[in-house]
Amino acid sequence: MQKKITVALFGVLLILAIILLWNFLKPSDPVDFSAEIKPIFNKHCISCHGGVKKNGGLSLLFEEDALGPMDSGKAAIVPGEPGASELIRRIKAHDPELRMPYEKPRLKDDEIELLSRWIDQGAPWGKHWAYTLPDKVDLPEITQEAGFLPEKDQDFLQNGIDQFVLTRLKAEGLQPNQQASREILARRLALDLTGLPPNAQLFDAWLEAELPYEGLVDSLLASETYGEKWSSWWLDLARYADTKGYEKDLGRTIWQYRDWVIRAFNKDMPYNQFTLEQLAGDLLPEPSMDQLIATAFHRNTMNNDEGGTEDEEFRVATVIDRVNTTFEVWQSTTIGCTQCHSHTYDPFRHEEYYKLMAFFNNTRDEDTPGEEPALKFYEEEDLRKVEKIKQWVAKYGSAESARKYRDFLLFNEPIYQAHTATGFKNGELSDTKWLSLWDDGSCQVKNVHTHGASSLLLNYWSNLNGTEMTIRKDHAGGEILARFRIDKTRGRIIRKIPFKPTNEELTLYFEANNDGIPKEAGTSFIVWFGFIEDLPGKGEPGYTEIDNSFLKLLNTQTPSLPIMAENPHYMGRTTQVFERGNWLLKADTVSPATPQVLNPWDPEWPKNRMGLAKWIVSTENPLTARTLVNRVWHQFFGRGMVATLEDIGSQSDPPSHPDLLDWLALRFMHEHQWSIKGLVKDIVMSGTYRQDSESSPELYERDPDNELLARGPRLRLSAEQIRDQALAVSGLLSDKMYGPGVMPPQPEGIWKSVYNSQKWVESKGEDRYRRAVYTYLKRTSPYPSFVTFDAGSREVCMVRRTVTNTPLQALVTLNDPVYLEAAHQMAVANAIPDDPDGTISRLYQKATFKKIDDQKLGVLKELYTVSLKEFRADETSVQGFLSLEAPTEPEIAALTIVANAIMNLDEFLTKS
Amino acid sequence: MDPIQKLIKEKIERELQARTRRHFIKECAAGMGGLAFGSLFAACDRKKAVPQPTGRKLTERDLNPLSVLPPPNMSRIKSVIYLHMAGAPSQLEMFDYKPQLQKLHGKPCPESLLEGKKFAFIRGIPKLLGPQSNFKQEGESGNWVSDYLPHFRKVIDEVAFLKAVHTDQFNHGPAQLFMHTGTPRLGRPSLGSWVTYGLGSENQNLPGFVVLISGGNDPSAGKSVWGSGFLPSIYQGVQCRSEGDPVLYIEDPEGVSRDMKKRTIEAINAINKEEYARYADPEILARINQYEMAYRMQISVPEIMNINKEPKHIQEMYGVVPGEESFANNCLLARKLVEDGVRFVQLYDWGWDSHGTDPSTAIDLGFRNKCRDIDRPMTALLLDLKQRGLLEETLVVWGGEFGRTPMQENREGKEMGYMGRDHHGDAFTMWMAGGGIKGGASWGTTDEIGFSAVEGRVSVHDVHATILHLLGFDHEQFTYNFQGRPFRLTDVEGEIIHEILS
Repeated sequence: MQKKITVALFGVLLILAIILLWNFLKPSDPVDFSAEIKPIFNKHCISCHGGVKKNGGLSLLFEEDALGPMDSGKAAIVPGEPGASELIRRIKAHDPELRMPYEKPRLKDDEIELLSRWIDQGAPWGKHWAYTLPDKVDLPEITQEAGFLPEKDQDFLQNGIDQFVLTRLKAEGLQPNQQASREILARRLALDLTGLPPNAQLFDAWLEAELPYEGLVDSLLASETYGEKWSSWWLDLARYADTKGYEKDLGRTIWQYRDWVIRAFNKDMPYNQFTLEQLAGDLLPEPSMDQLIATAFHRNTMNNDEGGTEDEEFRVATVIDRVNTTFEVWQSTTIGCTQCHSHTYDPFRHEEYYKLMAFFNNTRDEDTPGEEPALKFYEEEDLRKVEKIKQWVAKYGSAESARKYRDFLLFNEPIYQAHTATGFKNGELSDTKWLSLWDDGSCQVKNVHTHGASSLLLNYWSNLNGTEMTIRKDHAGGEILARFRIDKTRGRIIRKIPFKPTNEELTLYFEANNDGIPKEAGTSFIVWFGFIEDLPGKGEPGYTEIDNSFLKLLNTQTPSLPIMAENPHYMGRTTQVFERGNWLLKADTVSPATPQVLNPWDPEWPKNRMGLAKWIVSTENPLTARTLVNRVWHQFFGRGMVATLEDIGSQSDPPSHPDLLDWLALRFMHEHQWSIKGLVKDIVMSGTYRQDSESSPELYERDPDNELLARGPRLRLSAEQIRDQALAVSGLLSDKMYGPGVMPPQPEGIWKSVYNSQKWVESKGEDRYRRAVYTYLKRTSPYPSFVTFDAGSREVCMVRRTVTNTPLQALVTLNDPVYLEAAHQMAVANAIPDDPDGTISRLYQKATFKKIDDQKLGVLKELYTVSLKEFRADETSVQGFLSLEAPTEPEIAALTIVANAIMNLDEFLTKS
Repeated sequence: MDPIQKLIKEKIERELQARTRRHFIKECAAGMGGLAFGSLFAACDRKKAVPQPTGRKLTERDLNPLSVLPPPNMSRIKSVIYLHMAGAPSQLEMFDYKPQLQKLHGKPCPESLLEGKKFAFIRGIPKLLGPQSNFKQEGESGNWVSDYLPHFRKVIDEVAFLKAVHTDQFNHGPAQLFMHTGTPRLGRPSLGSWVTYGLGSENQNLPGFVVLISGGNDPSAGKSVWGSGFLPSIYQGVQCRSEGDPVLYIEDPEGVSRDMKKRTIEAINAINKEEYARYADPEILARINQYEMAYRMQISVPEIMNINKEPKHIQEMYGVVPGEESFANNCLLARKLVEDGVRFVQLYDWGWDSHGTDPSTAIDLGFRNKCRDIDRPMTALLLDLKQRGLLEETLVVWGGEFGRTPMQENREGKEMGYMGRDHHGDAFTMWMAGGGIKGGASWGTTDEIGFSAVEGRVSVHDVHATILHLLGFDHEQFTYNFQGRPFRLTDVEGEIIHEILS
């Protein structure tokens, strides 16, 4: 016994001696600022010396602030001289009044030592890893044992991904799992790629080994259902919904954008192009209709129609949302923090927020009820007329004029909205929306440019005859620019009114006169007015026809879609810093620029949304590709390599596999040329992905979130997948794609918005069974069963859905008529007469794609037998079973109960 | 022992055995070897930033996210009933008595008051509108209450008034979000979600956070006012309804008996247990638990939502009409729910937006009727809680999202046909009653026309800080990490209103 202790003691002493010797002799290790110093600052110092508070004039957020003099004149950090650095003196101080962190425990000795050593080494200010991207990452070599790889590893190593994963696993002393069975793999793959279980034909081909794994992957990637699955993910980021949000939450037509996303995924539009078109499609040289539709990405912002709200306030809110969303979606950065102050932890400055905002602050949309600018979808024939007008203008005028005519016909811009009117006398901005003058009324609109146009385009309606409207220059005594009569209209019209040509900036003074109408009655309601340079080619044959066609097209009612359009220079807004984030407290004027810490700006880029989009998809941007890779990875494994999906920066978790993240990001940009399908294929071809998800309580305890990837993914399906799967396995699912949102059955009385009479009108026919991505989404009241399964209301960008496990979910899949109908349909379609065992096995196999084992069959058979007995005993229960119109056979009713149970199994609701 | 408990127990026992075996080897190796290697390899750059997966033991919360957690500090109350009058009621006809305003009725509003102010609808110079109700001092406290609320005087000494609450939002949607999530923007958890997340629920057969709606419409901000924001969605409010299914999908379908549902769930759980043996995924255990809870909810929710079984005199006391959606029904339900251990009950009653555009929104007509609709039930609620000894462990909060102007609304500068008041957030009244509240107190005074606070001005954040304090939370410490930083209900503000605490 004593001997053992002596040996142990000796061992301990030996280790200690080695450590001491090492510490003594080793060279002074270079300290890594990001990994070692920045975390100390963030944890102990930055809340008082950071982006919000700068006590004593010290901020440790930016190098120049940290190394500069403080209020006291001393320097906190003197590079190379820890002894002269106030920071070191204060963290070592004994006097509690002087010691930092103030009123907190003293820093640990090793932290103090580290800080001293770092200053001694010259206090090099490293960039956080997230803000630089390496040029190249080498694949790690797998150490071979006795010259060859164990067979198990060889199975696992399918591509580069696995080399990184296996290296980490070996370092942790863990082994990967074996490959999952073919049945499980096929279901996992189909759900991940298409959101649906595999179709029977493909499944059988794969099961009978007619199809190699890669063939299965390729077939699924080529399937159109791929786009429907991946668009659900993107639409959360894009905050896509079918209503405008806020109090009234009226409907909006924007489904064309959803369809654009589905198509873009299906044709595997490269991610850089996908980005450019959504952020700045309107600024492309000759944007196609599709490229204009893509810009609706940033028109998914909410629009406030509540009475008494100021449009400018909500326009600003919209622009802020666009800045924040752009950075959340493409940069994994919560830039919203810098709206009120410099970022607390990351190197982004307060004014940098407003420089970013300047990119977005010059679009035409102004929180108007019509959501202008709105792209018009003309019928084929009318579209030809648009083209004809464009050609006419190009022929007799210039290409630039032709573009102006086309834009005006396609989305009616630029125009002056009614809410720009001020100085009302005997008039009002009716319902805070429309310019309305009463008898003897007047108002003004300032800063109007007419470009020498000899006519005014006026969008208005009127309920009264006999008004004379006059538009004067500047004031009541000013020169008359236009005078015209307004009579009752049938709804809104766009009218062309002669106007005195002028080239200067004008203040328009509107007057209305109509004797003998009731006091305070609106003579008319003006929605907007605008000017377009005169149609060229006057006197040429066909001129009148073209001129008439222009006005006729403007008045053609079409479906429409809110899009982005840039202000012409003469309508440009300046952007100012908002003090403490308050939009009414405006400070310094700023111009567009991107944050200093990120990739440099190429002077070739225009300083507008197009330039910003190019900066984002520059291969030098350190965050764009990593963000995408991390989020796509999350779709498969339920965890990003950086677990904080919203945030890649100094407050985020460090990546579980940093080199793999970078390797995939570089590969995505350079080898796959931004192809998302290429990235997806890399992931699903890996041995890591193909592992079985079986596990043990010990491994769960060690690695609950499967960070090390010693097992395959096992995750509850998404709200959309759960419903789509139930419809698919029961054969109810419609494969109809695209079009306006549909309204499958939902309980009565769910929609109860204020001042809104829109109703949920249940869809008929196959529209009841469309994929979930087509379900109409009302922001204040989303489809209830989706919300229960963690889908969001899409009011703001949602980077990640938190997956929950609740009793309300059980109630949905047990009792929602949608799921009961699926169970019933499944029973009807699969019943084998007089063979309950065979039928139950078949139901189970259809739902889970696995063969049933005896134990499960026993449990389900028992449920069937007892239920059947009950249905047979109680005539009434089958009479009105599930409120179906016709009575149900007791056998079918009992099978429905079994199918319902199967569709509630964990293995059905989960992808494993 | 029920099967799920048994399963958890077995698992914990197995873990304990495993731990004693491995304890020395694992923990000690990590302790000592870790130290040595840490210093030997200190120079390898950012790789050392790679985190070790933090091993985690299953806790009760993994299996049941609504399991009870003790509050960090001493709490005065167990549950909250929050009565929100959506649309924002006029404090000037209910609690904030302004005789001077009566004298100034019809006079133009002093321009100095309007400088730099923005209103939703008032334009130009509006006229002052005197109180349309008559006020009396009631109870031992002598607090003022109007004749629009004849019953409420009975409980006047139970409540503490806050007469100078202010908000910076003057549109309904944003103001309601601010009042319930601490920010006018979307995306943050509601008060009820925070509380349920922090404390769980006492009753595992009912949702922990229940929402009851009356007045025919949802509040303006929609379901987000009871949303869970970045908290897991299990903490969002569950709407219980008087019409249709009391909770969505809670009723068994036609032809399926209770027994059959029981057997279905037993079959599901039996197979899920087999699944657990293979995959060891704790989510499966949680799912087994949730299915059992769903089954119990199917029994207890319809039971508790059924007010027919309440004695006649209780029904009359509240003035309920079974089967209809009404504020009275919801008040009675609120009592039943907290009695059964529900943590947070949120009522929204719509129809308080008294602009005076038509009779239903006129201060002396529609508004008066709304007061009559709530007077009896909310009085009954306080009395009923009290007689059951529940008031001392429950907090009842009453208020709107803002108040109304002392001026008569002149929409777009026009004279209006009915008497109405515009939105006003500078000073309005809320009240609280119950555990930890100083009954009969009144904190905050407004100027002589009730436009601004003179003393005791409190913010929405202060109200939140006070509610959390009563529940045993320090509002500055009660946080949730999201997007790389800790979030609080009270953001960076909020002070406890000690003046109304006992």
